[in-house]
Amino acid sequence: MIKNKVILQSRWVSTLRFCVFTVLMNAVSIGAVWAAPTFTLEIKNHLFYPAEIVIPANTKVRLRVINRDDTPEEFESYELNREKVILGNSQTVIFVGPLPPGEYPFFGEFNISTAQGKIIAR
Amino acid sequence: MLLNAIVIVLRETLEAGILMSVLLTVGRQLEIQGRWFAVALIAGIAGSFLYARYLGAISQWFDYAGQEVVNALLQYSLYWCLVVICVLSFNWQKLPLPSSRHVMATFLGISVVLACVREGSEIMIFFLGYLTDRDVMVKAMTSGFVGLMIGVSVGALCYYIIMMQRKPISRIIQLSLMMLVAGGMVIQATQLLVQVDWLPSTEPVWNTSFFLSESSIIGQLVYAIFGYEASPTQIEALMYIGSLLLIPVIVIGVHYFLKSRRVSSELT
Repeated sequence: MIKNKVILQSRWVSTLRFCVFTVLMNAVSIGAVWAAPTFTLEIKNHLFYPAEIVIPANTKVRLRVINRDDTPEEFESYELNREKVILGNSQTVIFVGPLPPGEYPFFGEFNISTAQGKIIAR
Repeated sequence: MLLNAIVIVLRETLEAGILMSVLLTVGRQLEIQGRWFAVALIAGIAGSFLYARYLGAISQWFDYAGQEVVNALLQYSLYWCLVVICVLSFNWQKLPLPSSRHVMATFLGISVVLACVREGSEIMIFFLGYLTDRDVMVKAMTSGFVGLMIGVSVGALCYYIIMMQRKPISRIIQLSLMMLVAGGMVIQATQLLVQVDWLPSTEPVWNTSFFLSESSIIGQLVYAIFGYEASPTQIEALMYIGSLLLIPVIVIGVHYFLKSRRVSSELT
């Protein structure tokens, strides 16, 4: 009786392990397939490089922003609804979209007169 | 003078200043004694300095999502503090006074700290960037002081306008402003979590830019105070509407709960 109970328990444990493993593997593979394409934007001398980035329309993208200046900058865009501080000599990640085709200006709030750019969704 | 420094400081001061002025009127009208505001303001400024100081490390948490997660946490917490303040303020006559005053002072204080940390840290980061250049730093500080004074003046104006009203009207203004600010906190926090892909992103559900653009002066002002979004995504719109509706539901629910408890205690 006790032996049967132990066997039943171990079967349950192995089934549970299999289920968890399957779910995890599926999550990893789905994540890999659906991973957002990455675009890189650099800040140098309070300017964005490139000042224009073309991204696919209706697709979520991962924007990697690298601040090469010693001073902090704030990436901001009213059209994209994005706002993030990037400290000097550091980098960050911002997800953008999915966006309908169009132009979406962004700027550096701490140096608004020079740090200007736009994302073009095509 | 650096126009940029004026704009940045003014924007952040306005966001926190108007909320603080409303909280001060609530404290004043409900006769909350003590130095809750001064203590909270000092704690908030110290907190914003610490947050700015460690932002570099915080930003790297959760694969560069740390900044958004912490800010969203601050804003969601502020929402719940404002809900508690609305509930206490609306049902003040039915609550036991000494203990309610302590609870109210605590939540008013926490709200000031949270607002200060969230908005003050950005000002700190901006100025810390000029630390190496003394000349620019002096100019930036002077400009920042002008922005600070304009923001404080608007806050003071808001305070006196509310205090000048008759009590029932000022109560309505306080509750409405707190509700709108609280809703704004939720939409901004939700947007931050969408920004780092912690919440799903969709195309905007509507776009009111033609009516009021976020880049216009009024648009920026309404964004700063009430979290106005011209083109919110599905989850942002849902969270905003839900959070706004939840406040009167909780406030009125507590009102009827206290009323029924009072009736039952009178009967027994």
